[in-house]
Amino acid sequence: MSFDVKYMLDDTVAVIDIPERLDASCSSELKDKISEVVNKSVYKIIINLAETNFIDSSGLGALVSKISVCKANGGDIRLAAPGKRVLEILQITHLDKVLNYYHDIDEAVNSFATD
Amino acid sequence: MNKPRYKHNIEPDYNRPLFEIPIDSKRKIINILTLLYGSEVSRQVYPELERIMKVYYAHKTQELIEWEKTFDRSDIFSLEDVILITYGDIVKKNSEKPLKVLADFCRDYFSNSFNTVHILPFFPYSSDRGFSVKDFEEVDPNIGTWADIEDLNYDFKLMFDGVFNHISSKSKWFQEFLNGNPDFKHFFIVLSTKEMISEDHLKLIIRPRTSPLFTEFQTIEGPKLVWTTFSSDQVDLNFHNPKVLLKMIDIFLTYVRRGADLVRLDAVTYLWEELGTDCIHLKQTHAIIKLFRVILDTVAPYVALITETNVPHEQNIQYFGNGYDEAQMVYNFALPPLVYHAFINNNTAYLTKWAQTIQKVSDQTTYFNFLDSHDGIGLLPVKEILPDNEIEKLVYETIEKGGFISYRTDSDGKYSPYELNITWYSAINGNYQHADDTMKLKRYVASRAIAIFFIGIPGIYIHGLIGSENDVEAVLKEKHTRSINREIIDGSVLKEKLDDKSSLISRIVSELNNLINIKKNEKLFHPNCLQIVYNLSEKLFAFERRAEKGDDFVFCVINVTEKRTSFVLPEGLVKTENTFKNLVSGYIMNYKKNEQIEIDPYEIVILKTVKNKSGV
Repeated sequence: MSFDVKYMLDDTVAVIDIPERLDASCSSELKDKISEVVNKSVYKIIINLAETNFIDSSGLGALVSKISVCKANGGDIRLAAPGKRVLEILQITHLDKVLNYYHDIDEAVNSFATD
Repeated sequence: MNKPRYKHNIEPDYNRPLFEIPIDSKRKIINILTLLYGSEVSRQVYPELERIMKVYYAHKTQELIEWEKTFDRSDIFSLEDVILITYGDIVKKNSEKPLKVLADFCRDYFSNSFNTVHILPFFPYSSDRGFSVKDFEEVDPNIGTWADIEDLNYDFKLMFDGVFNHISSKSKWFQEFLNGNPDFKHFFIVLSTKEMISEDHLKLIIRPRTSPLFTEFQTIEGPKLVWTTFSSDQVDLNFHNPKVLLKMIDIFLTYVRRGADLVRLDAVTYLWEELGTDCIHLKQTHAIIKLFRVILDTVAPYVALITETNVPHEQNIQYFGNGYDEAQMVYNFALPPLVYHAFINNNTAYLTKWAQTIQKVSDQTTYFNFLDSHDGIGLLPVKEILPDNEIEKLVYETIEKGGFISYRTDSDGKYSPYELNITWYSAINGNYQHADDTMKLKRYVASRAIAIFFIGIPGIYIHGLIGSENDVEAVLKEKHTRSINREIIDGSVLKEKLDDKSSLISRIVSELNNLINIKKNEKLFHPNCLQIVYNLSEKLFAFERRAEKGDDFVFCVINVTEKRTSFVLPEGLVKTENTFKNLVSGYIMNYKKNEQIEIDPYEIVILKTVKNKSGV
């Protein structure tokens, strides 16, 4: 599968849409996609989880695969619209304390706009 | 005279004269009891404590008593001491008893390198992978029996956990408290209502967790709030009650009788609670550790105390006391995050600066140099050593490598990172994808070499020994971030990999075994030898070990980068021309003052002067 990426706020923010399941079958592709975004010097990334109801260990790894470089360059990885099951996984792994999450994409984009 | 293999009899021998407590020990014990409970209670408590010591002594074999007469306390640690940290049931094979499986592996594969096994809590438990003990005096029947522990002790020194801060809410002691049994009424710290403790007092208390400090339990007398530092299932014991102290001393000496050569005092920082204080490192906590030490010095001087205090470094080393009256060994908690920092930044500046402060404390104390354990990599120990932004970088690096973070609640109610949950192998090599296996192996072994040769006693967690990667599935399944480093190992698969000399596991074990044997065969790595750390270059970690007397030294240099570099030996160490042997490669080299020595990526160089036949 391929991940859709939209650029917003004068191409300073990338929004990546995640499918229903983020698992081993697509996690390396997501990693590549995030790398591609970062290689374009875009360090503000929003992961859109509106459609997602399952994330496994490899998916979790992909979500945060470039968090150091994003943070080091004044950016961040933020989540939009995580569902109940996804939030539960984030809470178990304490990633909810690292990855800020927002009700929807607009709210997530605004969070970068007001940084 | 060698220490006897059989140190204690199952039954006490009262045909022998009872042990007479030396007057000096008695004085020290009464002073400590007076500090804890006042002079009147101290006088009431002492006879029972003396009885417990006499009962312990009556279990000692005559051989042990004779051997102890020749025992020099400065020999409490030796060159041979290398500790394998493991759960008793971490390796499983068919339906064999896990402790037997562990003993077989230790004998067959690890006895050439390790002489001590730290079996993490092996008692019946209800949570926290053994640290919520239901019965301090029994071996969990799911993993084995006391006979299995004894069997392992035949070939290895053993380290037991003294989980004395708390007990399982499912334990008989706590159940009896709930039942209103008067014998257990004051075994725990109890409030009837939340109003009994002020918000100001609560804010002062330093917490290692984000869970509530008090947990409500229904008792025969109605609901009660009980102090639970670590979790709702781990109920703090009330050491304000001398009966609790006496009970724990009895258990402590039972561990010695059952084979403990080292007793690890788990979470001991939190032992004594006092409202109006931060409830950590209180003078009463230090006093209780000192009491354990006097007892050991009196009846079992070959047994060492090790304190597990995951706190800022300066506070951690306070547990050495004056070097002769408290713990003989402290976990060197700052070492893992600083070594990790050095390897991910290719820069040893912070590690070197801190290491230059680490000196020999006394000839009866030393550091426990570990990089990984069943828990994570603590961040509090480097709070005053690494700036906040560097700690933040460690956090993000860890997450990026598939690790997780555990948090605690600060006094302002905010969460702050407490430890990094990641295996050491994933920490070092997690996103080092561009390298081949050989380079990853070199990088990994180089990181471990620091802890092997640094002043102290090295310890390696079993998952670090075999280079395990993160077990994220276990985290999701068990809903516990520490599970990332606690994977159950299939014994048959492990055996196969250890026997396959080309497997990564086998290569890691072999390389570490080589380094450990270099350490064990060089007397200058004795924990009582001195250490001087040098700032040669930010790419290198360099230190010298030398005896207190004489000119002999070994010079250790570890390249923490993937670039070849070079160094010059410090001026004071070399004459115009020297001949050195590199103890790792075996090469002999002639060295002229100020000459550059090349060092490969992640290479470990240990130089020792080669003397000519006349010893010059």
